[in-house]
Amino acid sequence: MILLDIKNLTLEIESNGVLVKALDKASLILEEGEIRALVGESGSGKSLIVKAISGALPPQWIVTADRMTWRGQNLLTMTRAERRKIMRRDIAVVFQDPVAALDPSATLQEQLTESIPEEFVAGTWFWQKRRSRLDIAHSLLHKVGIKDTEYCMAHYAHELPVDICQKFMIAMALVSQPTVLIADDPTRGMETNTKRQILSLFKNLNKTRDLSILFVSHDLVAISSMADTMTVLYCGQTVEDGPFQSVRKKPFHPYTKALMDSAPSFSPDLQPKSALIALGGTIPTLQHLPIGCRLGPRCPRAQKKCVETPVSRKINQHTYRCHFPMHLDDKGIL
Amino acid sequence: MLNTLVRYFNLIVITLFILLLISFSLAYFFPGDPYTNLTGKMLLADTDGPLAAAFREGNVLQQFWYYVQNLTMGNWGHSFSSALPLYDQIFQTLPATLELTFYASTLSLVIGIPCGMLAGFLHHKKTDYTFMSMSMVMVSFPVFWLALLLILIFSLQLNLLPMSGRLSLLYDIPETSGFVLIDIINSSHPDRDAALYDAIQHLILPTIAVSFITTAVFLRTTRRAIVDVMATEYIKTAQTRGLPFYVIFSRHVLRNAMLSILPLLAIQISTLVTNVMIVETVFSWPGVGHWLIQAIYERDYPAIRIGMLLVSSIVVFFAMSLECISRLIDPSRDNKKYA
Repeated sequence: MILLDIKNLTLEIESNGVLVKALDKASLILEEGEIRALVGESGSGKSLIVKAISGALPPQWIVTADRMTWRGQNLLTMTRAERRKIMRRDIAVVFQDPVAALDPSATLQEQLTESIPEEFVAGTWFWQKRRSRLDIAHSLLHKVGIKDTEYCMAHYAHELPVDICQKFMIAMALVSQPTVLIADDPTRGMETNTKRQILSLFKNLNKTRDLSILFVSHDLVAISSMADTMTVLYCGQTVEDGPFQSVRKKPFHPYTKALMDSAPSFSPDLQPKSALIALGGTIPTLQHLPIGCRLGPRCPRAQKKCVETPVSRKINQHTYRCHFPMHLDDKGIL
Repeated sequence: MLNTLVRYFNLIVITLFILLLISFSLAYFFPGDPYTNLTGKMLLADTDGPLAAAFREGNVLQQFWYYVQNLTMGNWGHSFSSALPLYDQIFQTLPATLELTFYASTLSLVIGIPCGMLAGFLHHKKTDYTFMSMSMVMVSFPVFWLALLLILIFSLQLNLLPMSGRLSLLYDIPETSGFVLIDIINSSHPDRDAALYDAIQHLILPTIAVSFITTAVFLRTTRRAIVDVMATEYIKTAQTRGLPFYVIFSRHVLRNAMLSILPLLAIQISTLVTNVMIVETVFSWPGVGHWLIQAIYERDYPAIRIGMLLVSSIVVFFAMSLECISRLIDPSRDNKKYA
């Protein structure tokens, strides 16, 4: 079943009197029980998609979409209360910057326990409830890999290392036992062991509790170890979308290929000290976006036609948006 | 915690010391004999006391030392104009000022902060604009003119409220605490209720005049703090966690907004005291401000000196204490070592 269905999501913001499209017709589908990776460079709009789904965008952003639904309910037209209910129980979000996302004037314990839904709290009297809340909090913190839970819960966000705060954010997201976890770069700032621990926790939850995960990251190695499907974002446009292995082995879009090539761990026969493959140029700023396919000026396969925005085409499960895809012959056959 | 307390204690002590130095030097800056300016008495050959001896010797350090000693012993000198001890005079007038300040600041807090919150939550809506333009107008009123205007409208034209003083002369209430409402309630005067009514009537106009500007400033400060806090990442995150509004408001918005408002309120204390002094003069309110300005008219140097020292000490003490409290209850400031 499709949980989250986003079609042609466009985000605009006014900059010097001109509307700038930070996201241009981005599409994304999240099925029940899958781990979907959302990949893209910094500034490609990954976090904007996350914020648009969670409703955390500042009011000056103009959100338009052909479809943006949660289990068939339109997220854009529903009331605040309905949306809050969904955010409370079904969708959990881990944001990028944990220190900014935690209240500086409240201890972590307060913030974690207030996220626990009433249904999970046992007991009738407030001290029983308190006890029960603390038990839930402690066991959850152990799960996300915090050892000294007493100590960490008694402190404020700025007094603890960033990775502990990040783990708290993950714990706060998981405490409501959501259907979907949207994790925006959840392992940022963590060292390898902790990272592995968090990723295996995600995988376990995905297997045992059927938790669907939208995994936003640029860590291709982490993605390859867990993602079922992948969406590649470039400069606010979704360029390619499909099952992970298929996208990785036979990317259609030149950008996807460049992205995969840029990860040294994906090319086993890479010689030591050889130059890494990268596209020329940099990701354009929002004020100077190229028309048509936004990869155009940097694309090795670009032609005149690329000034028109390519429509999305689909082969099997694999969607791409490119006039001149790779690994396909002229007739568009594999 | 202890570190902060010690730091603020030092700060208060040093500031008070500087104030003492300035007040002492005033005796030399005023025209006339320094000893007379300091004590209100003539320095004669047979004047006794260590301060007089120090002045005869001309040792400035000793003079300062004995001056401070006299101050701590309650020996604050005598007024030129009435020849009464200044200590008694000040403690007769100070309660009236404190009373007016207390009512005015309470009124400002009770009106300013909730309205500011409302404006902050309805940021860029009609309510917000209404409150903002109202507060803009209120801030722009010069306080003396506002006080005169209030007298003109409510006392002279409408004849609703008394225009000066603290209590009608008809009621003879013995002064015990110096706070007029408390004194009236505690007294056994036959017309106690009428006296209370009269005292409240006297209070209304000065309180409004003082709190007018302060309310506007509190409103604007609170609004800004709420808008800032509402735009932060952690409030957005709390919203995406699906927490209901009252939880977000009471647990996250209120505390963070208050933490940024408190130090700004501490700065407002000096403005408040200045306004109280001006209003006291206009309404002939028998407080320190009125007394001090009378002293200035009469060139009563010992009174000017002690009045200035006292008012500035009170302002410094309250402002610093408020700042210290806000520092103590703000967990995210713990890591900043220096004041």
